[in-house]
Amino acid sequence: MRAGSPSCAPRGASPLPVVGFLAAAALLAAVPAFVQSPYALHVMVLLFLAIIQGESWNVLGGYTGQYSVGHAAYFGVGAYVTLMLLQFRQVPPWWGAWAAVLLAVVLGLVVGSITFRLRGPYFVLASIAVAEIVRLVVQNWKSVTNGAEGILVTEVPALRIGGHLVTDFTGKVPFYYAGLGLAAVTVAVNWAVQHSKLGYYFQAIREDQDAAHSLGISLARYKNVALAISAFFTAWSGAFYGIYVGFVDPNLLAVDVSVQIVLICIIGGIGTILGPVLGALVLVPLSEALRSNLIAEGLFSLGLSPTSRTGLFLKENLAQAHVLIYGILVVVVILYMPDGVLGFVKNLARRRAAARGAAAAATGGAA
Amino acid sequence: MAAPVLEIKQVSKFFGGLAANANVSFSMEEGMIMGLIGPNGAGKTTLFNCITGYYPPSRGEILFKGRRMNGLQPDQVCKLGMARTWQKVRPLAKMTVLDNVMVGALARTNSLRVARQAAMEQLGVVRLAQRAGALAGGLPIGERKRLEVARVLATRPEILLLDEVMGGLNPAESEEIIQLILELKRGGLTQMVIEHDMKAIMRISDRIVVLNSGEKLAEGLPAEIVSNRDVVTAYLGEGFE
Repeated sequence: MRAGSPSCAPRGASPLPVVGFLAAAALLAAVPAFVQSPYALHVMVLLFLAIIQGESWNVLGGYTGQYSVGHAAYFGVGAYVTLMLLQFRQVPPWWGAWAAVLLAVVLGLVVGSITFRLRGPYFVLASIAVAEIVRLVVQNWKSVTNGAEGILVTEVPALRIGGHLVTDFTGKVPFYYAGLGLAAVTVAVNWAVQHSKLGYYFQAIREDQDAAHSLGISLARYKNVALAISAFFTAWSGAFYGIYVGFVDPNLLAVDVSVQIVLICIIGGIGTILGPVLGALVLVPLSEALRSNLIAEGLFSLGLSPTSRTGLFLKENLAQAHVLIYGILVVVVILYMPDGVLGFVKNLARRRAAARGAAAAATGGAA
Repeated sequence: MAAPVLEIKQVSKFFGGLAANANVSFSMEEGMIMGLIGPNGAGKTTLFNCITGYYPPSRGEILFKGRRMNGLQPDQVCKLGMARTWQKVRPLAKMTVLDNVMVGALARTNSLRVARQAAMEQLGVVRLAQRAGALAGGLPIGERKRLEVARVLATRPEILLLDEVMGGLNPAESEEIIQLILELKRGGLTQMVIEHDMKAIMRISDRIVVLNSGEKLAEGLPAEIVSNRDVVTAYLGEGFE
C-alpha cells in the first residue's frame, strides 16, 4: 500500500479502463442473442440489479465514507412510487420512475440535512432508523400503499416511441437490457465522480472530516450531494426491480435489504469502481446457488445417495439453511479479505510481483 | 499604520464553567508574524479554533479585514482567506501526497488540471515534490508536517495560522520549517504561529502574545517578552527571576 498505489488515487485518465468498460458492455449486450435460458437471463438481471445498488451506495459509503444502512428506504421508495403510479393512476413506469426517483432524492436531502451532523456509528443508527420509519409508514398507510398486502401490477403498458413499439415488457430480454444500461450508467457515474473535484472532496471527507472542513469543503453540501447521487440511482434500482418483479410489499424496506446493499460493496471492495461489480459477481451467484440447493445437488453428483438418511437430511435442510450458510460465508470473506475481493486480488498480485522480483534478484546475484 | 488584517476583540470561550479563553484582544497587521505562546492548557489552540470557525466564541468579536467572522463555518473562513494547520497532523491517509494538496487547491478552482499544477508548485515550496505519489499515511512525521503546510498553502490564504508545526521535529527539520516560515513572510503572507520552541518563536516573531489560563498575560516584541517577569513566572513558577 505504499508509493504510487492507484487504489484511491485518481490520476490522469488512461484509455485502458474505458476500452475495457466499453468492451464488457458490448460483450454483455450480445449475450441475449446466444443465451435463451430464462433462468440464466434472470440471474443476469439480478446481477445487474446488485451492481446498480452497489455502485449507488459506493458513492456515499465508499467515496464519502458515510455508511448508510438505510438504503432500503430509497430502493423501496423507487419501487413503491413507480408501482403505485402505475397501478392506481395508470402512469406508465418510464414516467412514474422519474417521479419516484425524484421523490427519493428529496427524501434523501431531508434525511441528510438532519442526520449528517452525526458521525460514525451514530449516523449508521440514524440511517437505519429512517429506513424503519419509511417501512412503518408504508406498512400502515393502507389507503395509499395497500399496507402489508403490497401492490401487484396487473398490466404494464407497452413502451412506444412515435408509434414504434420499443418493448412490451414481456420476457426477460427487455429487463436484461434495461439492467445492463443502468448498471453501465452507475459504473460510469462512479468513474466520473472519482475523476472530478467531487471525488477529491468526497474522499477528503471520508479520510478526515475536520481537515476537509478546514480546507474549504462544506461538509453539509458535499455529503448531501453524495447522498443525492446515491439515492437517485438506488431509487432507479428500486423502480427497475418493481417493474421486473411486478410486485412490492413492505419487506422491500426491511433492514436486510439495506444490509444486502452494503455487503455488495464490503465484499467487493469499498470506495473503488470495480469493487461493487466484483461484490455482485460473488454474492448473486452464491445466493442463487444456495437458494436452488446446488450444494446438495453437488454432493449427490459426487456419489452421495439422495435417498440415504444423510442425503434426505441435507436435501431438506440445506435449502432451508441457505441464509445461514450465506451469512457464514460472508463473515469468512470479511475476516480474511478486509479490503474486499478486489483488495485481496490486488494484494495477491502485488505479492506475486514482489516475490518474482526477489527471485530474479536472487538468481541475478548468484550468477 | 494600515488597518489591521485580523482583530481579536475581547474574545471569550467557555466550556461549561471553564473559561478556555477570557477577554483576549489583539490585532495583526498585514505581513507580520505573530507568535502565540503560553504553557500547556493556556488556550492557544482554543483561540485558533474560535478564529477559524470550529467553535463560535462565547463572547467577543473576530474581525478579518473588517468583516465579522463569528458564526462562520470553517470552510467559509478558509474561502475568505484564513487557513490553519492542526497540532495533531491530519493527513488524508489513503490519498497520495499530491492528492492531499490538490484537495486544498480545489478550494480556488474546479479544474483538476489547474489544481494539480498548483499542488505541485506548493509541494516544491515545502520540498516534498519527490514524494508526490506516496500515500500520505505512510510519511514520517517531519514530512507530514510539511505536507500539512503545503496543503493549507494551496488554499491560497491571506493569513496562515500554524499550530505547532515544529512539534516533534528534530533540530534540522525544525530549521527547515523556520526557513519556510520566513520565506513565506518575505512573500508577504501574514502568519500566526503557536510554538513551544522559545528560541524558534523569538527568531521568527515580529510580536508575541502570551496566553496563560485563557487570559492574555502579555504582548510585545520578542525582546520585551523574554524579560517580562510575569511571563517567566507563568512558565517556571515563582522564584526564577
